[in-house]
Amino acid sequence: MRTKPFACLTIAVGVLLLGLWIAQPPATRANGEKDDEKGGHAHVPAPFEYADAHMPLSLWTDQATIARGKEIYAVRCAVCHGDSGDGKGPAGVALPLKPSDFRDKAGVAEMRDNYWIWRVSEGGQVEPFKGKGSAMPPWKGELTVQDRWAVMAYQHTFSGHQGPHVPWEHPESVVVGRDIYAMACVACHGVEGRGDGSVGPTLSPRRAPQPRDFTTGEFKFRSTPSGQLPTTADLFRTVTEGVRSSGGAMTIGLRGHRIMPSFRHMPEEQRLEVIEYVKSLNRAFWERQEIKTVNVPAPPLVTAERLARGKQLYADAECLACHGERGRGDGPSAPTLKDSRELPIAATDLTQPDRFKNGARPEDIYRTLVTGLAGTPMPSYADSLEPDQAWDLAYYTLSLSNNRRRTAETMR
Amino acid sequence: MRSILVMVLTAALGLWTAFADEAPISGTVKAVDAGAQTLTLEVASKGKTREVIVYMKPGAKVVRFTRATEPGKTGFVEQELPLSAVKVGWIVSATTKHEGNREVAEQVKIVVER
Repeated sequence: MRTKPFACLTIAVGVLLLGLWIAQPPATRANGEKDDEKGGHAHVPAPFEYADAHMPLSLWTDQATIARGKEIYAVRCAVCHGDSGDGKGPAGVALPLKPSDFRDKAGVAEMRDNYWIWRVSEGGQVEPFKGKGSAMPPWKGELTVQDRWAVMAYQHTFSGHQGPHVPWEHPESVVVGRDIYAMACVACHGVEGRGDGSVGPTLSPRRAPQPRDFTTGEFKFRSTPSGQLPTTADLFRTVTEGVRSSGGAMTIGLRGHRIMPSFRHMPEEQRLEVIEYVKSLNRAFWERQEIKTVNVPAPPLVTAERLARGKQLYADAECLACHGERGRGDGPSAPTLKDSRELPIAATDLTQPDRFKNGARPEDIYRTLVTGLAGTPMPSYADSLEPDQAWDLAYYTLSLSNNRRRTAETMR
Repeated sequence: MRSILVMVLTAALGLWTAFADEAPISGTVKAVDAGAQTLTLEVASKGKTREVIVYMKPGAKVVRFTRATEPGKTGFVEQELPLSAVKVGWIVSATTKHEGNREVAEQVKIVVER
């Protein structure tokens, strides 16, 4: 009589143990999940430092580059990633976090090129890879950028893909951003990113500003010189801050008079994903050779002399032709202004810095003066103003504000 | 019958423990003590970094991988080296077993020499 309950209990415990074993193999003590075949290869957006590092398109299929990459790979990478790129090099098989298998077409297709060079450059020394126990070393101290590209080009050959590794060949690399765009952006910017969404004309009927056409390469808010594309950080700032408007009937009720909403509430990773998708709509982001940003020096102190010089510059630079003598956007040229789409556009009312589209801090105004606003009549003064003069004009612009107290705080 | 059941249960528990105890770890070498036959590794796991002392089992090997030099062969060959040759900063992986409170290595592989 005693044996039967004991036997049942024993069998039950044995079955339980077996079930637990099957459902969840025991974890390692030191390095996270055991046999984690794919863990750690999260294709998160590259940080700003690498977000604009797109490999020149021709290198992906350049035989000399691939040959150079093969040499480097054999010496530095194959011991973990394997001679055949399968992630089963003699040292790699012993790692708790397995090296990437470059023959995995789907996995490679999901990787953006800026992510790829980030990984090659920083290895597993940065998060989220460090926390997952990645053993990959950083190669930025030992390989030049060109050599890192060469290695990437060679690694790419394992996937079997013949063309360049870019989003228009691998739409899956921007699918997350595409989905976010479909939810949050398409109403204004349109299905193909041409700024022809249905909402745009409603917000600003038959005049500027209209939603940005991402395919033309004309972006207003940049830290790059006139005529150049913005950086990823510039796009991130715009998505985060939104775009303030000069008001108008259709913007009443929109938070902060923003004609483009702020997506500050959206997780940072999602903002970066949607920006990668937006970039993929314009191949010029991959074709530009070098990225230069405008240097914004540390803001100097505001003095009466600086404001006086700024006032003179305001006249000399013909700002008052558009913005008016008092900065109200009522200059003699204001009624004739048109943007690059031939739509009437208002000169910004400088007495309301809350409405400044590119920001109202002194450094924002400085940047706007130096970069100009592409697609609008606002030119770049990079060639005609010295840095000190640009500060003079920036501070004078702020002094025109109706809100003296806030302006004083801003300029302090 | 009872004794058989007890043996089966014990075996199951034993297997579970055994498999849970054997695992590869990898990390950066922070210290080498050839006399005590230990390696101190900085390992990362689930977002946290910690130091793990790995004790070398008697007879345990430390190996690096180099390209074969024989004509016509290009693959990797194992090259054994003494523990004292391991340097701080190298990245290694070790197949270890948990014995008592210790991580005991049967083999250490050099992943990256830096």
